[in-house]
Amino acid sequence: MSEDTTLRMEGILKEFPGVVANDHVDLSVERGEIHGLLGENGAGKSTLMKILYGLYSQDDGDIYLDGERLDLGSPQDAIDAGIGMVHQHFMLIPRLTVAENVVLGEREPATAFRSDAADSWLPAAIRNNSLVQSLAGQFSLGLDVPEQRIQDLADQYGFDIDVSAKIWELDVGQQQRVEILKALYRDVDLLILDEPTAVLTPTEAERLFDSLERLTDEGLSIIFITHKLTEVDAIVDRVTVLREGQNVGTAEVSSVSRADLAEMMVGREVLFEIDREAVDLGEPVLRARGVEATDNRNIEALSGIDLTVRQGEIVGIAGVSGNGQKELAEVMAGIRDVTAGELVVNGEDITGAKPKTFVDSGVSFVPEDRLQYGCAEDLSVMHNATMKDFRDSRFGDRPFLDYGELREYAETLVEEFDVRGVSDVTETKAGDLSGGNLQKLILAREIYRDPDLLIANQPTRGVDVGAIEFIRETLLEQRKAGTGIILLSEDLDEIFDLSDRILVVYEGEFVYETTPAEADRERIGLEMTGGGDDEGQMETSPPPSGVTQGSES
Amino acid sequence: MVSFIAGLLDATVQAATVLLLAGMGELISERAGVLNLGVEGMMLVGALGGFITTVVTGSHWLGFGVGILLGMVLALVHAFLCITLKSNQVISGVMLTLLGTGLTTFFGSGWVEESISGFPQMTFPLVGQYLVGIPVIGEAFFRSTATDYLALGLLVVVWYFLYHSNLGLEMIAVGEDPEMADTMGVSVFRLRYLAVLIGGGFAGAAGAHLSLAFSQLWVPGMTAGRGWIAVALVIFAQWRPRRMLVGAYLFGLLDALRIRSQSISLTLGPDAPLAGVINPMVEFLMTPQIMGTYPYLATIIVLAYAVIRTKSDQLAVPSALLQSYSRETD
Repeated sequence: MSEDTTLRMEGILKEFPGVVANDHVDLSVERGEIHGLLGENGAGKSTLMKILYGLYSQDDGDIYLDGERLDLGSPQDAIDAGIGMVHQHFMLIPRLTVAENVVLGEREPATAFRSDAADSWLPAAIRNNSLVQSLAGQFSLGLDVPEQRIQDLADQYGFDIDVSAKIWELDVGQQQRVEILKALYRDVDLLILDEPTAVLTPTEAERLFDSLERLTDEGLSIIFITHKLTEVDAIVDRVTVLREGQNVGTAEVSSVSRADLAEMMVGREVLFEIDREAVDLGEPVLRARGVEATDNRNIEALSGIDLTVRQGEIVGIAGVSGNGQKELAEVMAGIRDVTAGELVVNGEDITGAKPKTFVDSGVSFVPEDRLQYGCAEDLSVMHNATMKDFRDSRFGDRPFLDYGELREYAETLVEEFDVRGVSDVTETKAGDLSGGNLQKLILAREIYRDPDLLIANQPTRGVDVGAIEFIRETLLEQRKAGTGIILLSEDLDEIFDLSDRILVVYEGEFVYETTPAEADRERIGLEMTGGGDDEGQMETSPPPSGVTQGSES
Repeated sequence: MVSFIAGLLDATVQAATVLLLAGMGELISERAGVLNLGVEGMMLVGALGGFITTVVTGSHWLGFGVGILLGMVLALVHAFLCITLKSNQVISGVMLTLLGTGLTTFFGSGWVEESISGFPQMTFPLVGQYLVGIPVIGEAFFRSTATDYLALGLLVVVWYFLYHSNLGLEMIAVGEDPEMADTMGVSVFRLRYLAVLIGGGFAGAAGAHLSLAFSQLWVPGMTAGRGWIAVALVIFAQWRPRRMLVGAYLFGLLDALRIRSQSISLTLGPDAPLAGVINPMVEFLMTPQIMGTYPYLATIIVLAYAVIRTKSDQLAVPSALLQSYSRETD
């Protein structure tokens, strides 16, 4: 241990019913560094940090900050010790102002009662009385001085924040800066950021990185939780990798390759090459002609889509977000009505039919928003796994259900699709699974029923490297089994790696068609933004090259 | 006519105070995220406890204090069930209303015949003696019971507390997002207990006002649904103290009208056009039982209006209402 070590966590053990979230984890952070905490979803990163922030209490192990042993019973203890945390889901109250959110819990008294007030009409003797201070701290509230201080802090770090604005008026990037201000206002020495870029656009992420570097220049230490290797390269000094609740190593970022880190994270070599065998195309499973539809605000989102998907074919649909992909996926899955055109699935015209008809015709759907549309958060894994097929006769004679069968089926899915974090399929709620594991569960449900047509909208967004690999392989296997697949993705690499055919969607129409073999990326980029007119900025995420670079074989 | 309106206003103030007191308590409790449907029960307990104390000791102020205390005792049960045990707030609240009704009916049966000298009518301190002479409204607003004035004073205190004190800010935070409050070092547990207890105290005070100042006698079930109107009033006021003042007086006016509805004649003369159609309708709308539903109808209209007008994330309802909180279950 070097002299510059500020934080040491030793042998941290945390068990939840049926799961060991942290298995004797050690972690040490140097003063003034950005320390990455890398791991797949569900590896125990957030749990470890919640222990450090006093939200969870560890079952075993010790925490030392600047050589002193900390006993953290609550977040207040952590704050007092100089630890701040920016949570993955923002901890802000939309209805209150920036200043109110920042000072919450600090008990800032009315200006006249401040012990540091320069020209209060109250004599200092009264102001400094501890009882008066306590009462003023509870029954009065002065925001003038704090607002000035927050503004000064914001200016110091280049945050453009109006301290008297309500949180709901701010955009996501600004909200995150308010989160950081909350910590700075409390004079923290150690700042924890839990997957801070998950909600940010690439430009905003760049800004965040700049701010973080300024903070470390001021002597702050930062723990940066992530599962994105590109971010580790971009910002982190040293990185600790967690896997299945265990520390698998700490390294200087400059001395390890991405491939090494990926392997540490996943526990095996990550395949950078995707094996895509040739598959004979069969009969068309979907024939859509002249499909038009509107979005939720009743504005036309699809204006005449023609699309044919054959057995064993993956059709990749590329486009900048908001050009009708969501509506396209929903129309093909039967959960959004068409305003014109027809949909023929397996030779049968089911335009305008109920979603159940689509399901029964062999259409499966992996929606973009896992939590809202992909699952029922508060129901068990078993309920979610069987949600589409519980009517099947193998689950009992209607109206009764054979729960034993349901359970067995769910357990098979969990097993075969490697869904982690499930202690009991009837007990664990779907909403409690991490993003990647929930996505695997949804994919399992949609694929295990052997669909003829699979619509996958952003299937790997926000999931970790190991799960991405698994999901892509599963899609290819399904293609081999003769399923026609529509893949919508904003990740161009993914489209190139998996698709047989690529279609570019722009403002609700297909504007370009090509194949990965003859495709020109620049051309696709231009088509995605409107044929090179350069109206809108193209917002592709920085390609995770080197990690997921695939090739045709 | 003038004396009728003056009398009506007087009754409005009286009725509004009950709703104002109970409503403020409910508002504080709900702003901290705990729905209290036990108001009716807490009011009854406060009414009976205050009444008995006043009969026995002769002091209506002591009775008022005991009423507050008993309301808080019942609220403590609610807090323990909903905050410590995290049980369902609706079930606990309804159960407490039934419990309060049952207990007061049983223990109060012997006190129905008793009479007390409750809160006397008094002019408003200092300026009241001059203002009481104002036609129509003077008597109603400046000659009332001490508790009527107290309720208005407390409204200012509640408003100030919620929006201009640290505890109030923390209470709002706890009602919006307990997890967030917890990460800021705010004790969700303590603040919610505090809010529920204050709420119970207000409900007890409302009950004591009812038996000691409003009617000056005890009748089983004398709250007659006013606790539920207080719950509706909070929604009507969109969880804001200032709007609650308007709502309490509006609902109070409806209550006063209901009691007097038999003596009001709004029907048209038999020769007026359409009298045959309009008169039965007016009579129907003026039936006391139908008039008793007006506060709820008004609440439904306000609620519908608020939902249509605002986006859901700006609705005034505390975001974490009905949610219990514990750290390690997410």
